Amino acid sequence: MANTSGNAYGLTALCPIINGHTNDSNPLYKAAGESHDKEVRRILQALPLNQESPFANTDNTYLARLFILNDVFFQQGNDFKRDQLKSKYLCFNSNFHGELEPYLTSLWNNNENQVREIWQHCVAFESVSNANDFVRYIKSCQLTTTLFFNGSNDQPVAEQLKALYVKQMFSEFVLTQQGKSAAELKQAFKYFLQRVQLNDVKSPSWKPGQTEVTL
Amino acid sequence: MSYIDGSSMKESKSLDLYDIQGNVCKGYGRYGFPKARYCFLSFQHTHSAREFLALLIEKITTAETWPVSESSDHHRIKPNSTLNLGFTYSGLKKLGLPERSLKGFPVDFTMGMKARSEILGDTGISAPEHWDDIWQQDNVHAWVAINARDQDAIEFEFNALGDLVTQHPDGVRIMSGIKGPNNTILPYQDASAVFENGLPTAKEHFGFTDGIGNPYFEGCGNSMSRLPGRGKLMRDGSWQPLATGEFVLGHVDEAQEYPPAPEPKLLSRNGTYMVYRKLHENVDTFNGYIDNLAKDFDGSRDLLMAKMSGRWPDNGAPLTLAATDEEKETLDAKMASIELRVSEGDKSALIERKELRRQWVDFTFNDDKSGSRCPVGAHIRRTNTRGSLETEHKAFHRPGALVDRRRLMRRGLPYGGIDEAKSDSAEQGIIFMSIGASIERQFEFVQQQWVNYSNDFKLGNDKDPLIGSHDGKLTDKHIIQGCPIKGAKPPFFCTQMPRFVETRGGDYFFIPSISALRMIAEGLIDPS
Repeated sequence: MANTSGNAYGLTALCPIINGHTNDSNPLYKAAGESHDKEVRRILQALPLNQESPFANTDNTYLARLFILNDVFFQQGNDFKRDQLKSKYLCFNSNFHGELEPYLTSLWNNNENQVREIWQHCVAFESVSNANDFVRYIKSCQLTTTLFFNGSNDQPVAEQLKALYVKQMFSEFVLTQQGKSAAELKQAFKYFLQRVQLNDVKSPSWKPGQTEVTL
Repeated sequence: MSYIDGSSMKESKSLDLYDIQGNVCKGYGRYGFPKARYCFLSFQHTHSAREFLALLIEKITTAETWPVSESSDHHRIKPNSTLNLGFTYSGLKKLGLPERSLKGFPVDFTMGMKARSEILGDTGISAPEHWDDIWQQDNVHAWVAINARDQDAIEFEFNALGDLVTQHPDGVRIMSGIKGPNNTILPYQDASAVFENGLPTAKEHFGFTDGIGNPYFEGCGNSMSRLPGRGKLMRDGSWQPLATGEFVLGHVDEAQEYPPAPEPKLLSRNGTYMVYRKLHENVDTFNGYIDNLAKDFDGSRDLLMAKMSGRWPDNGAPLTLAATDEEKETLDAKMASIELRVSEGDKSALIERKELRRQWVDFTFNDDKSGSRCPVGAHIRRTNTRGSLETEHKAFHRPGALVDRRRLMRRGLPYGGIDEAKSDSAEQGIIFMSIGASIERQFEFVQQQWVNYSNDFKLGNDKDPLIGSHDGKLTDKHIIQGCPIKGAKPPFFCTQMPRFVETRGGDYFFIPSISALRMIAEGLIDPS
């Protein structure tokens, strides 16, 4: 098993969530006391989407997912022993382009507040105070898997977004220029090339997490 | 490709055709019964509604073949009209089906078509709030269909139905609220084959020849000569009948399972589901769009229309058979010469004609992967993909494994276009009716994934050029693939496609067997 496939990295980390009550719980729930896993779930469910997502703001994310593993499920059978987890786990899956260390560093550097807010409920996270600590922490929780998202073409996200942008712009070009003379086509294509800036991977292009096409 | 000789094959499965309602196994047909009237009933008091139902059942025509006359020509004795019946979920509830039986119906059916509008692309001008008034209420409980040889027979049977309804004032009423010609509001929907020179044709109002490739399933009772092109495509290129359970409940389907169905088994066995949709055709918009595009298109107007549907408008010949104006001329000349010889009594010409006509349905897209003959996004290539989705060699256990579970048995007829001038606002279109064992797996899937989306065809968000829910945007397009051979045509792009077809109403109906109808009428449905 390997965590990499071509230039894609498949990260799976299981971070144990602290058992019991939070010390600094949300005042709304304070009377009843609040467990760490519920607090994490609330944060995850309120994470902003699309372009506002912390993963859109982390270089080269193909697909990322955070979820809470409550327990393992009992599969049918007559086992005497049923396994149970000692704690709940914050599961972090991410498929991205490139190496693990720079990816996690980018996640920390661009979203430190959100990372701290989420992971503060995990065991031993109090020892994390900078990007290097975060990389070390996630690595210590990492499983070796072959879980890859089959929907990407191995290139950096910026290049994929640019390719998509050019493809869509080219479709528009074709649809609007049908039937033109060779001279008109040449002129229009020249303008098209200027407009899409093939050699500039950053701009114009679609943004990570962008869901609406604005031609 | 090899073909089996359908006529030499024997059907292995026989169905209880007396128990299955008519028009399910074999279509009544545009030639035998070119006229139809559909009306919708609302039930009131259960007891009286059941009494009405018990009397109506006696009029229902079944799937059994018509009896043969004892006269010398042994012709089939057809009635002047037929009558069939289906219920919505709320109709079955109103008839007092036990809760446990009701809970066994699938979610698509229990929700009904209106609630599924997002899935179906019934949005914008096709959204339920724009449908005919009858669909604005939630008390359509039953659908009654009368098919007939002529309009007189329709009126006669409809009056008889009216009399029966009048006798049960507490039980049932015929609902009004259906938009008719010249801004009338009617208690029925008339439908009719389009007539040319006094004879019924297979045309619809855009001018296409329609309803050609209906599926063939085991036990349907149709001649085996109709199997090639209509059954399921086998690895060796031959065709076998689709499993009965794809179209009739209580029988094994293509997954070798019984389709999910409510209890008791007698309630569902030999029954089926039907999708009813009133699809308005914007004839002006369509003609204007085609006229305008034809100016830039390298080919005839008919070829352009064929490149949208996949079949030539005049006679329904598929593009696989003739993909250019020249090839079509050759095909027409060949057909004309065969017809001439037939008229002169040449018996070998009869066989040649049959062989040629077989190719109207017996084809695949195997030799046209790029779509240079029949565009990949053409209507017939979307709605019946044949073997074309098996893009990797032997990826599936059969080339058409995906489509075999998504075939639509169409039983509709055109409506309108007779009493008023053809225009966008005039009442004309198609009453689309599709029969199958699973509305969700068959009709809804085709509508959502193949008609209004193109991921499976690698065409992005493109939609069906004829019935897709377009809005006239630049990217509302249809691509007519070019020919990759050197010196041949470049691709042609149909852009800014408007909505040619709008949904004006409809619902999902359960078509019970005769046994189930009797039990419903007598209140004998007992799932315990």
